[in-house]
Amino acid sequence: MRQAPRYSVVLAATVNGLTPILLLFSIFITLRGHNAPGGGFAGGLVMGSAVILRYLTAGPAGIRSLRIDPIALIGAGLALAVSVGITSLIFDDAFLESAIWKWHAPVIGDVKIVSSSIFDLGVHILVVGVVMAVIVAFAEADDEMGGRT
Amino acid sequence: MIPLLIAHFATAAVCLSSGRFGARWALWLAAAVTASTFGWLVTQAGSAFDDEGPVTDIEWIPQLSLSLTLRLDGFGALMGLIVSGIGTLVLLYSVAYFGRRNDLGRLAGLLVSFAGAMLGIVWADGLLTLFVFWELTSITSFLLIGFNDKEPAARAAAMRAFLITGAGGLAMLAGFIILTTTTGITTVSGLVAEPPSGTLTNVALVLILLGAFTKSAQFPFHFWLPGAMAAPTPISAYLHSATMVKAGLVVVARFAPTFASEGPWRWLVVSAGLTSLLVGGFRAMRQQDAKLALAHGTVSQLGFLMVLLGLGTAATTYAGVAMLLAHALFKAALFLSVGVVDHETGTRDMRRLHGLARVLPVIAASVIVAAASMAAIPPTFGFVTKEKALDSLLGAEIGAVGVAALVGVAFGSVLTVAYTIRIAVGLLGNDAPGIEQGDDDPHDADLSPIDPKGVHRPSIGFVAAPALLAVLSLVAGLAAGPVGDWIAKATASLDPKTAEKHLVLWPGINEALLLSTTIIAAGVALWWLTRPRTRTVDAPYSLATAWYDRLYDGLLHGARRTTVLTQSGSLPFYLGIVLTTLAVALGSALVAGASDSITSSRFSNSPIEFIAVLLTGAFAVSVVFTRNRFAAAVLLGGSGYALAIVYLVQGAPDLAITQFLIETLTIVVFLLVLARLPSDFAPAPEWAPRFARLGISAAVGATVAWFALSASSARTEPSVGMDYLALSEPEAGGRNVVNVILVDFRGFDTMGEITVLAIAGAGVVNLVRAARRQQRLKRIEDGSDVLPDEIASTRKIGVWR
Repeated sequence: MRQAPRYSVVLAATVNGLTPILLLFSIFITLRGHNAPGGGFAGGLVMGSAVILRYLTAGPAGIRSLRIDPIALIGAGLALAVSVGITSLIFDDAFLESAIWKWHAPVIGDVKIVSSSIFDLGVHILVVGVVMAVIVAFAEADDEMGGRT
Repeated sequence: MIPLLIAHFATAAVCLSSGRFGARWALWLAAAVTASTFGWLVTQAGSAFDDEGPVTDIEWIPQLSLSLTLRLDGFGALMGLIVSGIGTLVLLYSVAYFGRRNDLGRLAGLLVSFAGAMLGIVWADGLLTLFVFWELTSITSFLLIGFNDKEPAARAAAMRAFLITGAGGLAMLAGFIILTTTTGITTVSGLVAEPPSGTLTNVALVLILLGAFTKSAQFPFHFWLPGAMAAPTPISAYLHSATMVKAGLVVVARFAPTFASEGPWRWLVVSAGLTSLLVGGFRAMRQQDAKLALAHGTVSQLGFLMVLLGLGTAATTYAGVAMLLAHALFKAALFLSVGVVDHETGTRDMRRLHGLARVLPVIAASVIVAAASMAAIPPTFGFVTKEKALDSLLGAEIGAVGVAALVGVAFGSVLTVAYTIRIAVGLLGNDAPGIEQGDDDPHDADLSPIDPKGVHRPSIGFVAAPALLAVLSLVAGLAAGPVGDWIAKATASLDPKTAEKHLVLWPGINEALLLSTTIIAAGVALWWLTRPRTRTVDAPYSLATAWYDRLYDGLLHGARRTTVLTQSGSLPFYLGIVLTTLAVALGSALVAGASDSITSSRFSNSPIEFIAVLLTGAFAVSVVFTRNRFAAAVLLGGSGYALAIVYLVQGAPDLAITQFLIETLTIVVFLLVLARLPSDFAPAPEWAPRFARLGISAAVGATVAWFALSASSARTEPSVGMDYLALSEPEAGGRNVVNVILVDFRGFDTMGEITVLAIAGAGVVNLVRAARRQQRLKRIEDGSDVLPDEIASTRKIGVWR
């Protein structure tokens, strides 16, 4: 039996404050990727590091309390990405050919949405799922060592 | 034709997805589909018989000249009528046979998808179309044999049948590929129109015959068919007597008229067919399970049909197709009758059955008529077609192989008569011997003859299907003339010369009739002489199955031995092998192409890049010299960060961002893992001394560096980069070309990559869960842990394990 790990209070408080910013920032990175450096893979990794930070500060209990099945997350991401590809097939384009929608919104100005951004969001979700799968592996291994808590 | 096939598979999808709600309605729905197919075929039969018939040709993968080609010719229409007609009867029969069960949706779905696949086989003109449907029937057959999936015997039989027929299908595919690549023709009709010849063609034909033999249960692949009797009787009647096992015959019938005179074809089909005919007949004499006896009889009859259709003369082809129809009718009738007997008495053991003629009169009459047809007793259809078959063999002028076929068929027919009488008498006879040795065996309590008074009476719907098939066996015999003309039209698409053939009920006294009379007399004599022994002998044990199992186990054992030999489990060993292979393969390729000079050797044009490269190298070298795992992980990370700086300097911010993030996450994960490992590296194994490891590392480093330099200077075409830059904004609406490449231009690659990532993620989760469960089980065995109550109460430990 290992001693119950002690977590740094300062780090925990910092991470708690940082997490919402990281989540928002990761989505920003994914969406800006179309025109500037970034993209779904990088965004997913940023969100994944938020999960890792939570594991480092709150331990396996912190991961378990999220109540997210990494497999479901992976599946959702893959399904989203594939469905974008198939949608463009249905509209008689090549697989994953981008569609571009533009409209003029009243307050925020011109909005442009590209279908490949949704594909990138799928990549983002999937990458978060994979990082989470690895972290869950550690959390479960902790459970094994520390007994059921 | 395509809408009909779609209807089959769509109905299958509906039935299969009905899950627990699947009930009788699923069988009715499936029957409606097969019945409407039957109706459509009746309306199309005229045009199919007289003209070419409708053709469907849908491009599938034009780049590989793959297309979905279906053609409804006369033979296809006749086979389609058999498949959909018997399919409808079997489905209606199943309604009564299965009663109220909650897995009928699965049954109906599998049966109707099988029917669709089988129609695909008989209508296919494209070779690959044929192959796809062929394998589909193997899969549905596998699922249907294993329908009672809780029984280990059924699962083993399903696996055996699938491996045998699947392997045969692959052989056939190889044959098709040889024919297609040597001739460029992709359809059966094309091959028949311009037949190729030569050694390669012969090899291809032998491979195709192998496929046909496995599917039609020909010796030495016959043993899966009796095993397939583990399936419920309606399935056996439909797949394993009337339709699926005919698929091999269909292919042989389509090829034989053109290719029978080629190379070893005739000798192969005659030797396989006659061996099956005799082995099947002999083994049918030694079964007490009526269904198993019929199954061995099917092997035997398929051998007969294989000989006839395989010889490929106009007369034998015509007789073969007529006999195929006769066989489908009487064998399905017999199987369905045995199913009724089994259902109403609870046994198929002929030693226990007696006195059924009085309590099951309709079934008794059906069995007698169908058996008469099987034994070729006039005036049944079986007699008419057997006469034609003997006549066609007597008149075949193909030398020694024809004589061998005739002699073998005559002996086989004697056996057929004998086992047919044996089965009919065994099912319906008035006394039953019981099972004497039953006293030793406490598990089979009830081995005495049944009590006929206690037999449950079947409903009209239950006996209708076997009765109708038996009546058809009789009527087709009486109406031999018109039926024969109709078959002649159907077979004209196989061989135009069969168009003038016809069937007659009474041909007058000729050689064939004399031979036939002799066969029947000899058959009766054989039955009577062997009766004292065959009444009690029960030999379901099969030598071929034993040999197959030995081969199968040996293969698995060999695979395990190979794995133990090659997979030592030592990581340094694996790495050594992989890296040495890389260095040797890459290095020899580079040496071979050494004339390509390295043109672009720009090393650095900014001091930051220079420093970053130096740092990368320094970190990498220091990793080698540290013995501490933590330090090594951090130094490795440093090497990666320094490389990210190079990317940044070179103007690839996307790459740099990703590199930074990945490097960070990797270090964290490394540290998490290392927390559970000893702090220092284990000493290197003795078989890998320092100089060897150094040598491999240096070789890999040198070759990779050389490769990178020569690859970057080997460009002969202009880079696509400029096109991508130009198209990025107008085509994909993005200014970041790297991202646009990832999600649009090369989106398919990304798709593949994230799929790999998804599988890896799922693999990690499952590995952890499996390991966790194993540790838990160990603790449960030790007694240091207990199953949670909610699990222990709903599952037995055996299931949990």
